Amino acid sequence: MRSLETVVEIKRTAPAEEHVVRFSVSQRFEHFLTMMCFLVLLLTGLPQKFDEASLSVWIVNSLGGIDNVRFLHRVFACVFIFGSVYHLGAVGLSLLRGRFRPTMVPTLRDFVDALAMLRYSVGLSSEKPAFDRYDYRQKFEYWGIVYGGVIMIVTGLTLWFPTYLTRLLPGEIVPAAKEMHSGEALLALLVIVTWHLYSVMLSPTHFPGDWSIFTGRISREKMIEEHPLEYARLTAVGLPEGPAENEAPGAEDNRRERV
Amino acid sequence: MVRIGPLIFLGGLAAAMVLLVATGRLATMGHAAMPAADPPLASGSRTAAADRDCLTCHGDPTLSMTLGSGETISLYVDRDVYGRSVHGDKLNCNDCHVRNQTYPHSPLEVYSARDFARAEYELCKRCHFENYTRTLDSVHYEQMAAGNSAAPVCTDCHTAHEVKRLEESRTQIAKTCAECHGQIYGEYVESVHGSALEAEDNPDVPVCITCHGVHDIHSATTASFRLGSLDLCSECHTNKELMDRYGISSNVLKTYLDDFHGKTAGFYQKQSSELWVQTPVCIDCHGVHDIRAVDDPNSRVIKENLLTTCRQCHPDASTNFPSAWLSHYEPSLKKAPLVYLVREYYRFLIPVMIGGLLMHITLDLWRLARNR
Repeated sequence: MRSLETVVEIKRTAPAEEHVVRFSVSQRFEHFLTMMCFLVLLLTGLPQKFDEASLSVWIVNSLGGIDNVRFLHRVFACVFIFGSVYHLGAVGLSLLRGRFRPTMVPTLRDFVDALAMLRYSVGLSSEKPAFDRYDYRQKFEYWGIVYGGVIMIVTGLTLWFPTYLTRLLPGEIVPAAKEMHSGEALLALLVIVTWHLYSVMLSPTHFPGDWSIFTGRISREKMIEEHPLEYARLTAVGLPEGPAENEAPGAEDNRRERV
Repeated sequence: MVRIGPLIFLGGLAAAMVLLVATGRLATMGHAAMPAADPPLASGSRTAAADRDCLTCHGDPTLSMTLGSGETISLYVDRDVYGRSVHGDKLNCNDCHVRNQTYPHSPLEVYSARDFARAEYELCKRCHFENYTRTLDSVHYEQMAAGNSAAPVCTDCHTAHEVKRLEESRTQIAKTCAECHGQIYGEYVESVHGSALEAEDNPDVPVCITCHGVHDIHSATTASFRLGSLDLCSECHTNKELMDRYGISSNVLKTYLDDFHGKTAGFYQKQSSELWVQTPVCIDCHGVHDIRAVDDPNSRVIKENLLTTCRQCHPDASTNFPSAWLSHYEPSLKKAPLVYLVREYYRFLIPVMIGGLLMHITLDLWRLARNR
């Protein structure tokens, strides 16, 4: 158990401009893939939902018509499916190699943290809760994407191949899938616009942006501020000699950076 | 002097305007007067006396002549029938038959009766110029220009001597087209529209010209006609008052456009009218001239026949598949409850979720502001 004193101690003694590697190349690639898919799928999907809007008509006509738009949508849907499979593969591989650490799995601690954060925000507490590799907000967003991604893939395939699923299931699932695809898409857009963009760009703590997901690096100072528990674990516990069951997916890079 | 300047200017301006308006009027008057100035029609209203000479011969029911083609045509004119026609009290024989003003008539230089009709029909345009020019844009004129001698001219639809106002009798319109388009007429009279016209002279159902137009009838096989057919059907089928009379939904266009097929067609319409839309439009499921009532056992869209209709485009569709289409119904707890519930779920979830996240952001900003 890392106490807050340890964290404060680390903070005091840490050199100012040093960087720690937070995301592996593979993780950065996954984020980039997801981001590109998200943008293109929204660009080609939303005009179909809001087909009356003049902006939608402009987008569709600029891309050469609705058939091209649907083609692009399906191409990037395939890329997104590939990204999802890649992610599952990456998680599975780390499990096989015994390097998996459930940093994204929600725990009771996250609910306690959320409450503590609420107390801190309204002024009932003067200390921010100390977070590990991913805080409760990041976990919420990750699982939101997993849940939304599964829905989008399943309903999207239903719409793409409507005659297959209806061999077993009632026909009504097709319009229901359409409704769900469209509702989930709007939800995803609004969550990304309000929540993700605030969390990583617009918030005063990160403005104009926290680029660690692109560069892979986070400043030691920021790491201590936002993920003190992980930082404490990586430093205070010391580096394990071999692949231990306690290691984070990005730990190899962490080590390289420190050498 | 200081004040006169503007006055002169204003006066000049007013005079110029009066002159402009006057000349404008003169110009339009001149235009309107033009047909009247056409010599053959100067006689104005018809006088029985002027036709007496003609009817001396042409009042004989047995009068006929044989053309080069071997056809024998009757030259008899029934003065009573002509008298009842729209021209009966307006035109003398010679107003139209200008070539026969003298007797003996100059010899006819046509081979057949058809050639005669085709040679003479342009006489109509001297009075009916506007409709004549419209026919130049029609598919019939296209056929004529391509050398099809069967392509209709004015007298084929309107007759020569028995000209009636066709719009007074809608059944007559359909029958007129049927003279050439017999097969289509056969389908039409069996349809929900055609049978109502035949049985009760229903004023609400479309006849041929409602969809195809009158003189400038365009080809119905073009991309633009196909895409535009959506608007043709919806002109009546979105009219609530009209549809209520027959207990039919007037929401059919909206529900179509909201669905996958309709969105495609809608975007095609907004892109260009010249694109051939592959996705089904009204006629692909409901039929064209043979549209049946939705409770008619022969209807293509009745539940029993819908799978066959779907399979036109989705050959591997199973028996469950047709219910993927909500039959122009808006989802509700009764119709398509699953779709309705999914819609309601997001209607609830999206504002709650976004509201919660915005609240979190606000709290965060509030704390940051106090920290400074």
